[in-house]
Amino acid sequence: MTYYEPKPHKKFFEKTLEDYRDSIWGCARCNWCQNHWAWNVKSAEYSEICPAFHEFRIFPYAGMGKMHIARALLEGDFDYEDAPEVVKFLYTCTTCGACELNCQRLQDKEPLQVNETLRARLVKDGIGPMPEHRNLLKSVKNYDNPWMQPRTQRDRWARKIKIKNIEKEPAETLFFVGCTVAFDNTQWHVAQNTATILLGAGVDLGMLGTKEVCCGSPVARIGDRDTFFDLAQRNIDMLNKTGAKEIVTFCPGCFKALSHDYAEVPDVPRLQAAVYHSSQYFDRLITEGKLTFSRPVNKRVTWHDPCHMGRHCGIYDEPRRVLEAIPGINLVEMERIKDQSWCCGGGGGARTAFMDFAQKTAAKRIGEAKKTGAEAIVTSCPFCEQNIGDALNAMNDEMEIFDLTDIMIKAMYSREV
Amino acid sequence: MSDTRQKVIQKKLPREVYSALKNVVGEQWIHESRSVVETYSKLSIEGGSFVKKHEKDPHVLPACVVLPASTDDVQAIVKICNRYHVPFIPFTNGQVFCNPTTQDPTLIIHFSRMNRIIKIDTQNMSATLEPYVDYAQLQAEAMKRGLWNGGTPLATTVCKLASQFAFAGLWQTDLKYGLLNRNIISVKMVLPDGEILSTGSRCIPRAGDFWEYGPGPDLMGLQRSGLGTNGIVTEITVKLHAWVGDDALPEIPGGRPSLKHVHDAKYDSPPEPLKNHKLLWVEFKDLDTQLKAMREIAHSGVGIGLNATGVYSAFYCSQTQEMTVQRCKEHFFPDWNCYVILANTTSDQQIAYEEEVIRQIIAEVGGTFLSETHKPEVLKALQPWNYDCIRHSTGYRMNRKFYANAWLPVGPLEEAKTTSREWKKALDLFGEIDITDRGGADDTPFVYALQRGHFCLFETDNYPDPVLPEEIKKAQAYGIYGAAVVTKYDLGPQLMAFVNVEPFTTMFPEAGPNAHLFMRKIRQVFDPNSVAAPGRQVFTEQEWQQFPAEIKAAVNAMRELNGMPRVE
Repeated sequence: MTYYEPKPHKKFFEKTLEDYRDSIWGCARCNWCQNHWAWNVKSAEYSEICPAFHEFRIFPYAGMGKMHIARALLEGDFDYEDAPEVVKFLYTCTTCGACELNCQRLQDKEPLQVNETLRARLVKDGIGPMPEHRNLLKSVKNYDNPWMQPRTQRDRWARKIKIKNIEKEPAETLFFVGCTVAFDNTQWHVAQNTATILLGAGVDLGMLGTKEVCCGSPVARIGDRDTFFDLAQRNIDMLNKTGAKEIVTFCPGCFKALSHDYAEVPDVPRLQAAVYHSSQYFDRLITEGKLTFSRPVNKRVTWHDPCHMGRHCGIYDEPRRVLEAIPGINLVEMERIKDQSWCCGGGGGARTAFMDFAQKTAAKRIGEAKKTGAEAIVTSCPFCEQNIGDALNAMNDEMEIFDLTDIMIKAMYSREV
Repeated sequence: MSDTRQKVIQKKLPREVYSALKNVVGEQWIHESRSVVETYSKLSIEGGSFVKKHEKDPHVLPACVVLPASTDDVQAIVKICNRYHVPFIPFTNGQVFCNPTTQDPTLIIHFSRMNRIIKIDTQNMSATLEPYVDYAQLQAEAMKRGLWNGGTPLATTVCKLASQFAFAGLWQTDLKYGLLNRNIISVKMVLPDGEILSTGSRCIPRAGDFWEYGPGPDLMGLQRSGLGTNGIVTEITVKLHAWVGDDALPEIPGGRPSLKHVHDAKYDSPPEPLKNHKLLWVEFKDLDTQLKAMREIAHSGVGIGLNATGVYSAFYCSQTQEMTVQRCKEHFFPDWNCYVILANTTSDQQIAYEEEVIRQIIAEVGGTFLSETHKPEVLKALQPWNYDCIRHSTGYRMNRKFYANAWLPVGPLEEAKTTSREWKKALDLFGEIDITDRGGADDTPFVYALQRGHFCLFETDNYPDPVLPEEIKKAQAYGIYGAAVVTKYDLGPQLMAFVNVEPFTTMFPEAGPNAHLFMRKIRQVFDPNSVAAPGRQVFTEQEWQQFPAEIKAAVNAMRELNGMPRVE
């Protein structure tokens, strides 16, 4: 009689395809990686869950297909020169993790981890990432951010806000801003809102200012593990030195990197501070009575779960509770929510390399949101806001998109910050 | 085993064939790159394709994948295949018998673009679907209208109904509603030579699609469970029945499950029974008592579903492989049991009445209901069935390496004992592969009571490690032994097709029902160029010659072991 022994634990970023051999051979083709969990299916239109399979209709785009490709590459059935198209299949994935969740639920297998490991192998072998990602990687290496921006510009969003520089003045709570919002002036409002809300609630808040460096999430998702390890090490060292007890961030990519990914990097120390997504922190402040909303915001809104915050990190209820605490807000749900949420299309490097696909995926989410009768989509992710916002503009649609903090600020102050 | 780094190179279609196909569907919807065909080559529970992968057999690789958008597209593709003698395989999810076994360059016709619910007819209580529509989609739309189709397969709710028509379509609710095959009103098919066939009343101009009989010969019967031998379904009209639950399955109050690394217990709250539905679980002291109770319940006419599950409860209702194995070791779930699905389909008092009937039967036969006082923790663990009995979603919860070479014979309820006894013999003969192989021997086989229990299906399975070809081959030996058992004891057909399929058809010609012998004769009429779904229901002479000699030898060894003459 055979008993399958559990394998010794290995950190995710140590793993190679070889570590997934059992998993990839055992793919059962059950097709749940492409489909909304059937108990929750409420219509034929929204019964699929994998954006890439939904768009392109062939299996290499689905989690299942990645398992089969991984098996063939691992066993030497073909190599890159026989199948150069593999790079496109692997990088069209938004890393939304829907396949992973359903597969773990049914098969105890990990198609997204396999895809990210495949990407790492492609990068190591010089085949990946997509050409569109190469500038992003260079920028991270040269400027500590993916957007080719000088380090000195990182704290421009905070010029009108009085917030401690934690290197000069100790603070209990560190605000980790993230690159996208720090450098994109169309998104500064999110950082400004967040800082205003936290400071207003009496939080002893500091930031790293121009010293902050990329969390490494984009390079981790693209598969450049060496660069990610370097960033993880630098961030952990720097963040531990600050002495902050808590770190708050609103970017789901940063949040996942700090709260989950760093623990999976080999040979780095532990991050000492507790890491919170801003919605978790706001929820706590509301519960403690430190954050109240006095002005009604009369809007019918729907919540879009960012994948790296929801499915990857399990934060579903907190932002909903925050919205429900705001007078006048009527929260209505889309069909695909929480762990079965439809990705906006902007993650995993897909928007950088496949803009059309990313926009089509966002347009589908907008269609789903409109069916609820909501006037606005609310979310808490700079990538989701950007990608859905661009699609709304392209569609010339009157529906609005807000960051969670936009709504909160409206409910707290007589004017927008 | 072959050189482990040896590449596996696919054959390609002749350029003129490729061009002709491209002209039908457009460049975007035809693929022949190496990585694409790879994803259409290894199937789910078909051990043979795994062995071939280990052996680096290039014949499992299709030459090309084409994605039609309409019946016209399919017709044009099939005509091209006939013109150039290119074998084709209709393909949806690729779970079972889609293996391109041919040694010639073979075309996959993948139906993922044909995924529309064409119509739900509330007056005639029917739905017309394209071939890529699955049970979850159909149920979601039908339930909004107070209707449903009567069940979902135990395999998984994402099975496509058109694919299931090609097999049997086994549901947990077969007790009342019968197989999918008995719930079909009509089909539109592209026959292997490219002709279009419509069946039932839809083939009468302007008559509508409401009745399964047409004015002429009943060709639908010939297509039912045809495994694609005689054509490709491009539209299917299924019966709908009254649905007495809510217009959607309710959200689970605790939330939805989370990933393991962010696990929170609140997200794994199992669902309570659906409105107007109830499940009763009964434990028995042995298989004899279980079968006696099941016979009485089935014949009493109550309930919409009646089944028994042994090792499968450990799979379906456990969250990890480790938990599954532990529960098997501990016999956490009752070895001998059955569950009855009750519904208020005709009256608000129906469940109460039928429960009373079942309680009387159990009092007479002997058995204990799982309840708040008897094994409440087991009853709680079984709660996923509360939704799964209607929309089966955990059905592919493997929590295991792989499973292959199942025994799925059909027969009267008592034959569950034959299956169990012979499975034990097979375990002694070939040796166990995994702890869970004992499911069906040390506990009940999975028993599905069909058509008010007039016949049943008994399932036992192997769980080999797909990484180890020796294990898969061992599982194949079980499969062949199972075919011999079916033949020896005159049980119903192997596998879920409810007709025998190749290679059993050729290797165990005694096995009935022998519709395949008729199909063998008429395949030449329907498929003069032998291009449709090669090697599924009936072999051509060429396909038989190409079949591996070692499997033929193994079959004869197994036949001799069971006192049957060799097949040459």
